[in-house]
Amino acid sequence: MIRGSCLCGEVRLEISGAVSGGSHCHCTMCRKAHGAAFGTYALVNAADFRIVSGADRITRYASSPGVSRTFCSRCGSTLQWQIETKPDIVEIALGVLDDDPGVRPARHIFVGSKAPWHEITDSLPRHATWPGKS
Amino acid sequence: MLRGSCLCGGVRYEISGPLVGALNCHCSMCRKAHGAAFRSRAGVRATDFRWTQGENLVTWYETSPGTHRGFCRVCGAKLLSRFDFEAKWYGLPLGTLDDDPGVKPGMHVFVNYKAPWFEITDPLPQHPEWPPR
Repeated sequence: MIRGSCLCGEVRLEISGAVSGGSHCHCTMCRKAHGAAFGTYALVNAADFRIVSGADRITRYASSPGVSRTFCSRCGSTLQWQIETKPDIVEIALGVLDDDPGVRPARHIFVGSKAPWHEITDSLPRHATWPGKS
Repeated sequence: MLRGSCLCGGVRYEISGPLVGALNCHCSMCRKAHGAAFRSRAGVRATDFRWTQGENLVTWYETSPGTHRGFCRVCGAKLLSRFDFEAKWYGLPLGTLDDDPGVKPGMHVFVNYKAPWFEITDPLPQHPEWPPR
């Protein structure tokens, strides 16, 4: 079991299955939502994902058609990224996990919109947008 | 003039002075607040910072005594920190800037609390907690 929680602790979540496919995303929307250099997300089967407490604290924001991002309305912690066409998959923001998910991000995506004040220095593959499109 | 805005565009701000002491913070509070590997932030003088739109959309959460982190209540973008004990300075997360601030983080702090899934590979100095003053 992998546990996660927001900064204020109101929202708690549990992941009972595998976490896979970690990516660092440098798109402008991730940078803005997180207020950070990049967002880091990994995939979880929706059936393995459970909000343990604080579901009523979760605000959902539709950042583009068919895509929403969630955060805690009390402390602002960014929680997940969800695409409507893939309801079986939850993309979890790794920053809110309390336990080591085991997975390690394997790529940088949307480096075409990377912050000018951040340099990527690791050896992971870099994609201008999505993998396969660049 | 540096401009910044949240993800939904409801909140906008301007900064008329320099950003100082840019760094990457890996403490667990910063990681949780941003839901990210680390927080990149700089100091900005309160007198140089101005909300130009949507200040009423900013929700403040007191993350430790006297430290308040503000985010947009519509889209969740992390915007600014203010401090009861140091009212002349704000902490600015760099991620919502629209313009290039011309500065880059110069060190990593609180690396003792770094995420296990993130490896620091750049040559910047790393401090276990705060750097010695």
